[in-house]
Amino acid sequence: MKSFFRMSYPYLVWIALFIVAPMIMILLYATTRSSNGVITFSFTLDNFARFFSDPTFLKVLWTSLRIALITTVFCILIGYPAALFIANLPEKRQTFMILLLTLPMWINMLLKTYAWRGILMNFDLESEVKVFIGMVYDFLPYMIIQIHTAIAKLDRNLLIASYDLGANRWKTFLKVTLPLSVPGIISGITLVFLPAVSSFVIPKLLGGGNYVLIGNLIETYFLVAGDWNFGSAISLIMALIIIASMYLTKKLDRSTVEEG
Amino acid sequence: MKKLLVLLLALAMVLPTISLAEGFDPAEFAGSTLNVYNWGEYVDMSVIRAFEKEYNVRVNYKTYESNEYLWLQLQSEDAWDVIVPSDYMIERLIAAGKLQPLDKSIVDNLDNLAEGVQNLPYDPDNTYSVPYFWQTVGIVYDTTKIDPEDMEAQGWNAFQNADYAGHAYMYDSSRDAFMIAEKSLGYSANTTDEEEIMAAYEWLRTMHQNLKPSYVTDEVIDSMAEGLKWMALVYSGDAAYILSENEDMAYCTPEQGTNLAVDAMVIPANAKNPKLANVFIKYMLEYDASEANSLEVGYTSANAEVLEALSGPGGDYEGNDAYLPRAGYEKDEMYVDLPAEWQSRQPDLWAKVMAE
Repeated sequence: MKSFFRMSYPYLVWIALFIVAPMIMILLYATTRSSNGVITFSFTLDNFARFFSDPTFLKVLWTSLRIALITTVFCILIGYPAALFIANLPEKRQTFMILLLTLPMWINMLLKTYAWRGILMNFDLESEVKVFIGMVYDFLPYMIIQIHTAIAKLDRNLLIASYDLGANRWKTFLKVTLPLSVPGIISGITLVFLPAVSSFVIPKLLGGGNYVLIGNLIETYFLVAGDWNFGSAISLIMALIIIASMYLTKKLDRSTVEEG
Repeated sequence: MKKLLVLLLALAMVLPTISLAEGFDPAEFAGSTLNVYNWGEYVDMSVIRAFEKEYNVRVNYKTYESNEYLWLQLQSEDAWDVIVPSDYMIERLIAAGKLQPLDKSIVDNLDNLAEGVQNLPYDPDNTYSVPYFWQTVGIVYDTTKIDPEDMEAQGWNAFQNADYAGHAYMYDSSRDAFMIAEKSLGYSANTTDEEEIMAAYEWLRTMHQNLKPSYVTDEVIDSMAEGLKWMALVYSGDAAYILSENEDMAYCTPEQGTNLAVDAMVIPANAKNPKLANVFIKYMLEYDASEANSLEVGYTSANAEVLEALSGPGGDYEGNDAYLPRAGYEKDEMYVDLPAEWQSRQPDLWAKVMAE
């Protein structure tokens, strides 16, 4: 066991260098004022106050959350039946279907989004609808694969027992399959909702420039305004929201497992 | 023996002078690499390939999207040999000591420069920079949707006209956005007066509410060429391309005045291959390279002969209003570098306008 633990050292170094250190820098930037390069920290919460006291920024935050939320809901609504369908196929066909599903993931996301832009240009849709089509398309495979894994490893004997006890197919689904696949849905949500909150390329390209999302804001403050302090504060607020939602989903996960 | 030594010494002293007189030896760069950092969609790549072939070098060609991004990139250790910032950014780079003077013994063709790009205020003697392309900012509009007379009469105020709501593209650039607001209010595009800038901010908020524009960057070029919207804020070089693709489109340079901008080639102080950089700059200013680039991207050439040939009778841009920028109009201004405070406050205000 000990020798195996040693093998994780490179990974720990990697985490320290590329995840922990940048996070600490973001934290430092977010809680300080910009100074003229000399290391004089003057700690402040002004950057956060500035964000939460401005209705414009709150609106941007809300739009980002709303788009991510709706995307996730649609991914579940479309992804669940698809996963169920795949899970009921013979095993060989299942592998093939999953392969088909992951096929588009080999193509660069930007490329796919530009293709959608070309396709959707011919349709007179609300720009919001276009954004959701692009988002759901991009994130759907993650949801399907997670739910499929959960359903596929479900013990068939439980279903047989359910039929034996007189439950019809619908009741079996509601009482057995669905509850036992909730962990799959939850890890699907983690894989869809979290990247969707911070995604800004798809809304930018498909929304026709009508959306300013939290990712765009961070980009603006870092790259155009050169205000790294405020940019970091927004990044940190994002990070906190993501951590909070991960905590919530984890908690949901545990409570369903306990019930099961 | 002594005589031979003297002769050798004399030769050694004369030889470098000879090669200096010619500026450079074309064969001396063989195998080296030149790092060029330019705007996206701003070159005919065959010109780069031809340069590589002629001097037997490799050009590492990368692109950026904004002066501000370039500025941030230059704060890191990456060394570029040639970059192409705009006027006000060159001013800032010179002040920060980030550029090195050109070697005029190599770049000996400055006579090629068109009249409109000579003696520019940010670098009057071309000590550091050689203009690459120049442009104005204006409005491309669909003449089947908006009457040319109406457009000329409104100028920038068309961007507050609720009749065009949902049918306009606005370029996502804080500096240009504030410029059109300030010009239509009769201020300088370089104002640092708090009240004037806040008035411009209110002007932009009104624009956002009345016009409901889509905020875009380079995608405006193809979208307007396809005629997806009625009007758009564009750079004259992009407008020249749009006009050549779609004959319903026209270009308006508002009478309230606009920004005259120049993108120029400069050599960063930490360039690894400055001599080849000078050779490259000379090469790009020659007729053939200038013509190929201008034909490919539609921006106005800094080379006087190319400009005349392309906009004159029989030229590719004959009769294209956007190709030949308005020069010498008193209300037109070049940008000067804003004080640090406004460098971050303008983008901040602009982000709020777009997000509202």
